[in-house]
Amino acid sequence: MSRKRALIADTFCLTKRRRCAADSVTADGAADIRSSLQYLMTLFSRKLFNDSLPPVVLKHQLYSLHNDKTSVDKQVNELRENGDLLMFQLGFDSEAFALVFAEDYRTKVLQGEAGRETLGTVEKFLAKLIPGCSDLSFNKEKMLKEFLFTDPAITQLVKSGVLTVRDAGSWWLSIPNSGKFIKYFIKGRKAVLGMVKKSKYGEILKTELEGHHTTSQVKFQMKYHIHEIMGAELVESIQTTSGTLLRYVDGNVN
Amino acid sequence: MLSFLYARQSGLDDPVRLRRAESTRRVLSLELNHNRDVDRIHGNGINTLDTEVIDGRYMLSGGSDGVIVIYDLENNSKKPQYTCKAICTVGRSSRHVHKFSVETVQWYPHDTGMFVSSSFDKTMKVWDTETLKVVSELLCYSSHSALLCSVLAVGTKDPKVQLCDLKSGSRIHILQGHRGEILSVRWSPRYDHILATASTDSRVRIWDVRRASGSLFTLDQHNGDKSKASSEAVNTAHNGRVNGLCFTADGLHLLSTGTDDRMRLWNSGTGENTLVNYGKVVNESRKGLKFTVSRGCSPEFVFVPCGSSVAVYGLHSGELITMLRGHYNNVDCCEFHPDYQELYSGGKDCNILAWVPVLRQPGIEDDETNSKRGGTQAAINPAFEDAWSSDED
Repeated sequence: MSRKRALIADTFCLTKRRRCAADSVTADGAADIRSSLQYLMTLFSRKLFNDSLPPVVLKHQLYSLHNDKTSVDKQVNELRENGDLLMFQLGFDSEAFALVFAEDYRTKVLQGEAGRETLGTVEKFLAKLIPGCSDLSFNKEKMLKEFLFTDPAITQLVKSGVLTVRDAGSWWLSIPNSGKFIKYFIKGRKAVLGMVKKSKYGEILKTELEGHHTTSQVKFQMKYHIHEIMGAELVESIQTTSGTLLRYVDGNVN
Repeated sequence: MLSFLYARQSGLDDPVRLRRAESTRRVLSLELNHNRDVDRIHGNGINTLDTEVIDGRYMLSGGSDGVIVIYDLENNSKKPQYTCKAICTVGRSSRHVHKFSVETVQWYPHDTGMFVSSSFDKTMKVWDTETLKVVSELLCYSSHSALLCSVLAVGTKDPKVQLCDLKSGSRIHILQGHRGEILSVRWSPRYDHILATASTDSRVRIWDVRRASGSLFTLDQHNGDKSKASSEAVNTAHNGRVNGLCFTADGLHLLSTGTDDRMRLWNSGTGENTLVNYGKVVNESRKGLKFTVSRGCSPEFVFVPCGSSVAVYGLHSGELITMLRGHYNNVDCCEFHPDYQELYSGGKDCNILAWVPVLRQPGIEDDETNSKRGGTQAAINPAFEDAWSSDED
């Protein structure tokens, strides 16, 4: 008898599936992503930024919680189309996307803008952005013609931090005051990866890493970073009898 | 399994369904088998493998030392232990051997009378299998080619695709459009005139060779959503060099792998990215990567060489099913045998490994009857036994 558990195709598991209660897959799935997002948002440390940033989650952190990456992508896109979620290109990696709930984004941006003269333009921009548009970047014609902004208005938006320059005549959508976030994030990620690399044999149990004392480089919670490196596949996660083992993968740039 | 057999017998199910279910089960149980071996002839890494389409019996392999070997994959001995013998070799001593590494070998699609090889020594040779002599030779700065009927498409270093006619030995026309060296060329199995090429400029282009003007379309990873990419990366298939292409067996989908560690599945008719997320598919290859898709299974599988193992992904679900580990060094190419659901992979460690589905273990009663029959006779596979020959002869 072979000790290894053989992979069995779905077609041969018919009887097992019939016994399970039939639940509506889509409704469950979408609710799952939303609850995972909310859980990840709780891991985000607000106090670090003096409450000026909305809770930010990275899209690949979701991959560490759910197995099927394609369905995660689909559900995230659905939420974006509904206008509940906003996605941002962070700039340090072409594949790293940040997700923020739309209401959180709106409240924080308006809170940051209160009392400044750019408030009016920013409000107008947010009103156009949140229900309808799910783009990550905007170019000049779109801003001028569709959104009916003038050039000085665009300059005001860049000044307020809602847009960042991408190229001559096009801008990325961005989170105001996110520079500090990105800096701490990159430093923290490097430090956590270093911790995994330095451990004996280059591997460490996930629970052990969570309990590790954080160095001064790591400003966020360890769990936040761990979900991130697992989802981005910067470490290999192996299931063992003592839990999940994280093994450092060679050939990482970071 | 028994329910499938009964359903087929009574006509409840289509015959294809049983075949697909069993093929899928076999592919999921692929393993290195100590009974199956392939002769080790190459002294250097193996770059390419190709099995002929008609019988699936003969396999060509091309190596980094310029050597080309033909193997016989069929098991005619009645023993389960079998080494695939090399029938003939174009070795270093042959007059016509390639000077440098052979990058692509391909059988002529209609019979095994001839095959084509292309190599880094800037030549493409057409060989006659009987005599192992070169019938015609073409000079071109290329190393990747694909053969369809009598038209050979060659991807060259100065970024154009050269189409050559084998019947006359001359070049037909040139497809311009890429801006970097072309790393992979594939003909569509569905339509004779559709060609896909992948190059170092991060683009994959689909061509209709009957048209004189440029490509039909370029594959765009963001599906035209220009806002997602940075401005240089607009309209590219990958964020790095694209070094592998493979059509699915029905020609409806195209897979591409790139050095940005991603693999993408495209709809070959519209060029749309189906956005199936395979995760990180480690890809550090500087030259073309040869990967393959299974045929005849119900959820199709993609076999991609990833470092020193072969990763098996579900084609449409994107999940990593398993990693086939066994090579000692980088794997460069893999080839799927659709009739027996076997996978052959070759790599830098000069080995061709055969991954064979694990058969169901015989029951306990079978073992007893075998031992009763006597130890002199080796255990014969019951499929080879017949009812009329006698043991006494």
